[in-house]
Amino acid sequence: MDTFLQVTAYGLLQGGLLALVAVGFSLVWGIMNIVNLSHGAFVILGAYIAWEMQSWFGLDPFLGMFVSAAVLFCIGYVIQRYLINLIVNGPVFITLLLTFGINMIFIQSMNLIFTADFRSIQTSYGSNSLKIGAIHIPVVRLLAFLLAILISFALVAFVKRTRTGLSIMATGMDRGAARLMGIRARHVYAITFAISAALAGMAGTMIATIETFDPAKAGKFTLMAFVVAVLGGLGNLYGALVGGLLIGLVESWAGQYLSGTWVNGIAFLVLIIVLIFRPNGLVGKAFYAARVEL
Amino acid sequence: MLEVKQLTAGYGRTQVLWEMDLTVGKNEIVALVGPNGAGKSTLLRAITGMIPVRSGSVTFDGQVIQGQSIEEIVTRGIAHVPEGRRLFPGLTVRENLQLGAWRTRDTNIDHVVELFPRLGERLDQVAGSMSGGEQQQCAIARGLMSKPTLIIIDELSLGLAPVVVDEIIQRLPGIAESGTSILMVDQDVDAALTIASTAYVLEAGHLVLSGKAADLLADPRVQESYLGVG
Repeated sequence: MDTFLQVTAYGLLQGGLLALVAVGFSLVWGIMNIVNLSHGAFVILGAYIAWEMQSWFGLDPFLGMFVSAAVLFCIGYVIQRYLINLIVNGPVFITLLLTFGINMIFIQSMNLIFTADFRSIQTSYGSNSLKIGAIHIPVVRLLAFLLAILISFALVAFVKRTRTGLSIMATGMDRGAARLMGIRARHVYAITFAISAALAGMAGTMIATIETFDPAKAGKFTLMAFVVAVLGGLGNLYGALVGGLLIGLVESWAGQYLSGTWVNGIAFLVLIIVLIFRPNGLVGKAFYAARVEL
Repeated sequence: MLEVKQLTAGYGRTQVLWEMDLTVGKNEIVALVGPNGAGKSTLLRAITGMIPVRSGSVTFDGQVIQGQSIEEIVTRGIAHVPEGRRLFPGLTVRENLQLGAWRTRDTNIDHVVELFPRLGERLDQVAGSMSGGEQQQCAIARGLMSKPTLIIIDELSLGLAPVVVDEIIQRLPGIAESGTSILMVDQDVDAALTIASTAYVLEAGHLVLSGKAADLLADPRVQESYLGVG
């Protein structure tokens, strides 16, 4: 029983981070209908930036993640504004091809710059843990989990409550009508993508404090973001949270009770089962079916 | 105020409009009438930059606006209520109205709620769940939020019950008097010509008649083609 509780706690903590990885991915998909295959590369790049920050300036990763966020925000803005915007009306296949290409460029660049060696971000408090009953909760994991949840909620509040957020929602629902309001859709798209990349960078930094990373791991995070986003309900930001926690739990349980190679398979099995019974995802409504193109 | 001269436009290789001339003056209501496919909506789209102008010119307040982006054109004070209303379906009425004031940042909704009291009761309702008439009122109100000097209304009565159309149409003269000129397209030729001061009749992409709306209403050609008289 204690093992089960321990595994469950780890799963939930891990799930919070998966949610943060997925929430930006889901936002971009829901608003622009772009499946961003380079999302995982942004996660890893965020981890490297924070690692370098710590190595050069001794910056704590929980502060360094804001540097990662800022850098990735800028990179994300430029990529969307000057690259993806060119083909944003194209068929899904074309957007997949482009983001796949961007992903390759990022991964290979990281291989060249940072080498393919495994790294992780160490902190002085990395081995501290809280003890609740028989369960150990590492402080770093708890902190990362709480921040991930907080940032996800902050994103939802931002989208729902601010002027920029409203313009993002409106542009996602009807780009042509949004432009008729005087909203610069190209800029809004770029901001949306930038936010998504920034969140990926933050998630990557926090993941790097918990596990090792290398450029080749990017694909895993893109895949996880995809599963979580679809599971939760496309474009639904709360859905990404719920989906993230569920996948975190499933992965953790599968990792404990089945052999390691089953983990991804089980994650997809859960996805398939959920989609059979709830085609719009766990929290999804047929909301984005209302998308209209000019 | 709005002046269209010798405008041609189309979609892809297909030319839809030939040498259009049109003027909208201050505080004026102008109606475009004509059968389906005559190019009425295309003309409105060309004015606000939703499709490119191929030749001719569009000037607004003395400034050439053709070739500019939609965003730039609407920022000059033209609101376009598109065909099919195109509200943001998942957002509330209030949010839709606030988005209408995007360029002016003046999100005070009192003046449009006064005009369409029904919207006042529906402010927190999701726009996509309202009836067609309420949606059209919301779409016009959204257009008026930025206090434009010209509002373009496409297919005002499409899919609406006559009673609802009357209710909306009788608001238009007040809007024009308070400083927002109106350029409208409507299936209901009788109603459109009754409230408009000037009207243009389009057929197959050509301007075939224009003049005072009252004169056109009495014109036998208009009566025969559109009003089922004679």
